[in-house]
Amino acid sequence: MAEAWIRSKSAALDAAIAQAAGLLAASRLPVIAGLGTDVAGARAAIKLAQSVGGVVDHMHSEALLRDLDVMREAGMMMTTPNEARLRADFLLLVGPGLIEAWPALPERLFANRRTVWLCPDAAAKPENRYQNMVVVGDNPRDLPVILAALRARCVGRPVAHPPLALATIDSLMAELRKVRFGVAIWSAAQHDGLVIEMLCGLVDDLNKGTRFSGLPLAPADNAAAVQQVAGWMSGFPLRTGFGRRLPEHDPWRFEASRLIDSGEADCAVWISAYGARSPTWKRNLPLVALTARPDTLGADVTIAVGRPGIDHDAVEHLAATATLSAVSASKPSTAMSVASVIGKIRAALPAARPC
Amino acid sequence: MLTRLVGGRVIDPQNGRDAVGDIFIRDGRIVDAPPSGTADETYNVSNKIVMAGAIDVHSHIAGNNETIGRLSLPEERYPSDVVHPGHFPQPRGSWNTFETGRIYATMGFTTVVEPAVLPHHAMQAHLELADIPIIDKATLTVLGNDDFLLNLLHRREGPDAMRDYVAWTLAASRGLGIKVINAGGVAAFKDNLREFSLDDEVPGYGVSSRTIMKALQRAVHELKLPHRLHVHCNNLGIAGNVETALATIAAAEDLPLHLAHLQFYGYGKEGPRGFSSGGARLAEAVNAAGSVTVDVGQVMFGQTVTISCDVLRQFNARNGARPKKWMICDGDSNGGGIVPYNYRGTDFFNAVQWAVGLELFLLTKDPWRVFFTTDHPNGAPFTAYPDILALLMNRDLRAEWISRMPKEAMAVTTLASIAREYTLAEVAIMTRAAPARLLGLTDRGHLGPGALADVAVYETGTDKARMFREAALVFKDGQLIVRDGALLDYPTGRTLSVHTERERAMERRMCDYYEERYGLSPDFMTVADAAIGRPESFETIPCLS
Repeated sequence: MAEAWIRSKSAALDAAIAQAAGLLAASRLPVIAGLGTDVAGARAAIKLAQSVGGVVDHMHSEALLRDLDVMREAGMMMTTPNEARLRADFLLLVGPGLIEAWPALPERLFANRRTVWLCPDAAAKPENRYQNMVVVGDNPRDLPVILAALRARCVGRPVAHPPLALATIDSLMAELRKVRFGVAIWSAAQHDGLVIEMLCGLVDDLNKGTRFSGLPLAPADNAAAVQQVAGWMSGFPLRTGFGRRLPEHDPWRFEASRLIDSGEADCAVWISAYGARSPTWKRNLPLVALTARPDTLGADVTIAVGRPGIDHDAVEHLAATATLSAVSASKPSTAMSVASVIGKIRAALPAARPC
Repeated sequence: MLTRLVGGRVIDPQNGRDAVGDIFIRDGRIVDAPPSGTADETYNVSNKIVMAGAIDVHSHIAGNNETIGRLSLPEERYPSDVVHPGHFPQPRGSWNTFETGRIYATMGFTTVVEPAVLPHHAMQAHLELADIPIIDKATLTVLGNDDFLLNLLHRREGPDAMRDYVAWTLAASRGLGIKVINAGGVAAFKDNLREFSLDDEVPGYGVSSRTIMKALQRAVHELKLPHRLHVHCNNLGIAGNVETALATIAAAEDLPLHLAHLQFYGYGKEGPRGFSSGGARLAEAVNAAGSVTVDVGQVMFGQTVTISCDVLRQFNARNGARPKKWMICDGDSNGGGIVPYNYRGTDFFNAVQWAVGLELFLLTKDPWRVFFTTDHPNGAPFTAYPDILALLMNRDLRAEWISRMPKEAMAVTTLASIAREYTLAEVAIMTRAAPARLLGLTDRGHLGPGALADVAVYETGTDKARMFREAALVFKDGQLIVRDGALLDYPTGRTLSVHTERERAMERRMCDYYEERYGLSPDFMTVADAAIGRPESFETIPCLS
């Protein structure tokens, strides 16, 4: 049984769909945001944005774009969790937020290899430390300078005022040079883009002598998969608008919260099928919410959706393999998927064309 | 419903037909002229050329590497001024799945092979292919740098195990055939080797590139897969690598082997700059090796991006990126490298590359054994096809291009001395009949009764580029899709895959292996129909009898 609400009052699904389609049709610039959904939901959301001339943005675009910016402005060596597990003799854990980004990280990768954690968070406290693990640096704010110092020493340049003893930097560098296949692991949610670029530059420099690669941990809410879907369907990452009948990508112009708080956008669809996340914008505007926790938002139209991979089968980005893979529902239910709700909304739009 | 195309010059080499005549279509298939009755729909195609829909055997149109390319190059575009009608999706000009289908269709292409799908990423490749409208697609599954296979060879387990493994992987990844990319070289790079040739051994496994290629060639042959082993050789892009290609051709022996984008292996070390064309030598070797087929991977000038699972090659090429950015992934098995590149007509090396490709086209005598590709997007985007066909069909046009190239570059090639011009019949063989035969697709690439009604109709005229860029009419499964170069509709295409058995013992073995090596079930790599999200997205192609 579908659950839907119009302004917090329980409503028939058809009425809620019609109301949502009406809000979108009346909008001059709608934003399809959140996008916490599976591949089918992302495909549907992007088609919807194309139909109504809207904008697509993911709740974790900021982190996605930090890694992507390094690829599209400099260079990045990367590897996969499987390859790290199979081959790495050394892990360089970089900064905080790693366990938070991938709770299975210690279990998947920490055993049987030397691990150095640069400027960790509480997850690396002594009681949580793993065998063979060494911590270097205790203040995450020092991380940019430590990385810069390491990179300078890697190519034999002098370093002034390092935040750690030069001997510590040099001995770590000596160790990095000796590994056979090292892997640096980070979570972009925690770093400025330039820190990631510095780290990737260090990894590239290390490859002059040995083999080293990077493992960026994907943000939550299936962000990496949604970004891929946007890439193949539009040719662009998220923060892309279809308002001028061709896709345009601009990380500043098409940021959902900015568009809404500035008053440029006049309608929003918020998609959060994985949990209770709420939008970060401040302004009130006509809002359609597709969420797994419908009690959390006071939207004009709210439609409850199932959780991908739990309530219904899904294709998702898997942290363990960094692939898009099919996942069977662990607790199948009758809850509707984001894709099916958006399909109904598209069908209810005036002059919509099924495809 | 009966559709009749009246009075065109029908060029159908598979059926020995090259004459003015009619084509009849019923229920999505070509049929014989009915004894009586009139057609429900008639198209007058007099003074036009009628061919089967074209087939591209090697074009990187889908998968995670391509999409990383799309994401990394927001400035990259297909050249397009087309404004779609309001009810079409709106990604005009951008490098995405919809435009891929549209532009291929408007050129008269109806089947395209994505030649590099890593088994672990097959799900994404098939999702992307399902979003490419109109055309039918197929994939080649990449093996040859994967730990499991290298261990099989290391332990000398023999051809039965190899065959079962190939069959299992194909079934999981829903491929049409198997490709090997720098066999062993990508695994060797993970062990810090920076060069790798045919007889070099992968550290830790003690297996040579030749051994890997020969084992896969044999397994593909014994499984009677519709497409022979598809090979990306070692040493791509390096001066002197013509020797590698010649050795690989010789290694084919009497079993079928397809060498991909041969142009990228056509380089000698002669001349004042130590870089010269080996195109003539290579074409001579291909002419003499009856078991070998090749596609060219023609270079054309302009901005593109190189996307390859040859991680070693892409790593070595990264500092030559134009513009300066790149992504290299040490993946499970092969991985990938994305390196943008701008081929310049004023660049000595790029001009030699351009000439080598044309030499291979023009000096390979048998149009049934040389295939038309740019290795999209590596040599050029597939949107350059019409210009390449024009160059092949017109020696005066070639002479004009040559006159604008660096003279020292043309001096190390034989291109200026070649007078051959491709005929329309040869183009029809190279882009239709021969690819269908190469891929084992018996109802494509020709216009005989029973063939799929994938038909391209072109205007005649001296401007061959224009002729092939905008087909006058294109039918897909009998439905009119393109008129005068403009898209009329965008039906969903199918993905062609071969059916192989997941043999029981191998199934158990793969489960044990994935558990032991990765702590995972191999289920994550399985491509299930339901997950694609489109009904009837696959068509099964039988193995050879």
